[in-house]
Amino acid sequence: MAVNTITLAAVTLLYLAAIITLGWLGYRHTKEHEDYLVAGRRIHPAILALSYGATFISTSAIVGFGGVAAQLGMGLIWLTVLNIGVGIFLAFIIFGKKTREIGQRLHAVTFPDLLGKCYASKFMRYAAGLVIVVAMPLYTAAILIGGARFIETTLAIPYDSALLGFAAIVALYVVLGGLIAVMYTDAMQGAIMLVGMTILLVLTYVHLGGVMEAHAALDSLTSMVPEAMVAAGHTGWTSMPVLGSPLWLTLVTTIVLGVGIGVLAQPQLVVRFMTVKDSRAIHRAVFIGGPFILMMTGVAFTVGALTNVYFVQNTGSIALEVAGGNVDAIIPAYINASMPDIFIIVFMLALLAAAMSTLSSLIHTMGTALGHDIWRSIRGNVPSLRASQTGCVLMIVVSVGLAYLMPVSIIARATAMFMGLCAAAFLPAYAAALYARTPSRNAAIASLVAGTTAWFLWTAFVHKAESSVLGVSQAIFGVPALLSNFWQVVDPLIIALPLSTVVLLVGMALDRTGADTGEIIGEGDAGEALR
Amino acid sequence: MFGINDPQIWSAYLLALGFTLACMVYGLLNWNNGGDEMHGS
Repeated sequence: MAVNTITLAAVTLLYLAAIITLGWLGYRHTKEHEDYLVAGRRIHPAILALSYGATFISTSAIVGFGGVAAQLGMGLIWLTVLNIGVGIFLAFIIFGKKTREIGQRLHAVTFPDLLGKCYASKFMRYAAGLVIVVAMPLYTAAILIGGARFIETTLAIPYDSALLGFAAIVALYVVLGGLIAVMYTDAMQGAIMLVGMTILLVLTYVHLGGVMEAHAALDSLTSMVPEAMVAAGHTGWTSMPVLGSPLWLTLVTTIVLGVGIGVLAQPQLVVRFMTVKDSRAIHRAVFIGGPFILMMTGVAFTVGALTNVYFVQNTGSIALEVAGGNVDAIIPAYINASMPDIFIIVFMLALLAAAMSTLSSLIHTMGTALGHDIWRSIRGNVPSLRASQTGCVLMIVVSVGLAYLMPVSIIARATAMFMGLCAAAFLPAYAAALYARTPSRNAAIASLVAGTTAWFLWTAFVHKAESSVLGVSQAIFGVPALLSNFWQVVDPLIIALPLSTVVLLVGMALDRTGADTGEIIGEGDAGEALR
Repeated sequence: MFGINDPQIWSAYLLALGFTLACMVYGLLNWNNGGDEMHGS
């Protein structure tokens, strides 16, 4: 970046000092396992809202999806609609309030623990924990690599040092301070992100001569859409792709629905609902959460599309050409080219904050799934801080290892893959656990297994973006993906989620006669029936 | 609307703003509802 490296390093050190201080506060307030796992159920509504939002929005949501908006256009705003309508409004009011209430009643302290206790099923707890422990490290490795690359280019630190240092600093406050430290730091990071994105929006419209003028200028660039994109369905940056075209299917099924709905059953987000003491806190958090997400993805996608106007006016080329065909390089290239030095520093901090807030939450969720939900549960031990802390250490080591070992092509797909898997595996069973009058354990298990299996099969054999990278279909059938071109761009979530929902509903209908739901597990504090 | 011709795009902006407003109105209307619901702890 163009700014003075010493100034940048000084600001970064100040930021890290603040993070360490908040992490230390978390450590001071963590006395027992409920403090470590659900922040003692006494988190302030504003911290809940900012922490939820900062965890929800990673660097890839801003830089990666902002770059996709530069490529595909303003159609990505439909994802913002779902981010706010589903990810905040529906998630907090329909899922959050009930999750908090039931979680508190059953003393549930993690997402797998909640499912296990609602269904009085150790299998549900283990299976949910296993999905997290197996799949989340890929997503975590993606966040780690993104953060390390970003630190490498902005602070001129070698990649290996950046990766290890980034992981070590976040691991330090997560392992010692648990969810209190994670949420305190998230809140500060969320505030920095809010400042960064607000400045980005205002300066972009100022540069381009106003809101209407900027949008009209973008509309006039339609003739500059590359021919290959037009052939795939692109109609310009201020309009949706052709209905049913490959670009439309990717935009609607993978980006808008896949990510927009996937957020509902993200374990690292669900656990946050259990950190507040009453519904009042949830109500107040909704007030902050809606505008926060609008200022994150709404701004990233709008500015992403508008980078085309800036680059055409200043270089004669569209954003993707300026970035050498690399979608991820568009937003950083735009910031460097168009923004004043001081804002480059603010935006650098905002992106670092976005990466750290997501990473810390993932480490905590994986660590508690391994230490509390699987290891402690198998051994039948009483809940302990040590088990969760050890789990966090092990999972960060695994994630760092994956960041070195896994091909970048797989890592790049990890965010959408993890969101899709979570929704397909957990969402129907999670919803039924909260609202069904007689939640059927067998139906929930069948739904979880069917959703996970269908998602995996579609990912490995049909959805070309992933199957061609995984190579399983190529190895077995000699082609990168099965079925027709149409199905190869339909996201696994679109197939697996309806299937797991149908399996749950059929299972519940069949299980009504002989259901033995609500049975007591009979271990420690889990020995409570839900209904 | 907003200088955008395609109704599929400007309606998305309207919906995004509408949901944001809905979040704020819901939060304000229920600001003091549901307090002190601590169960079983």
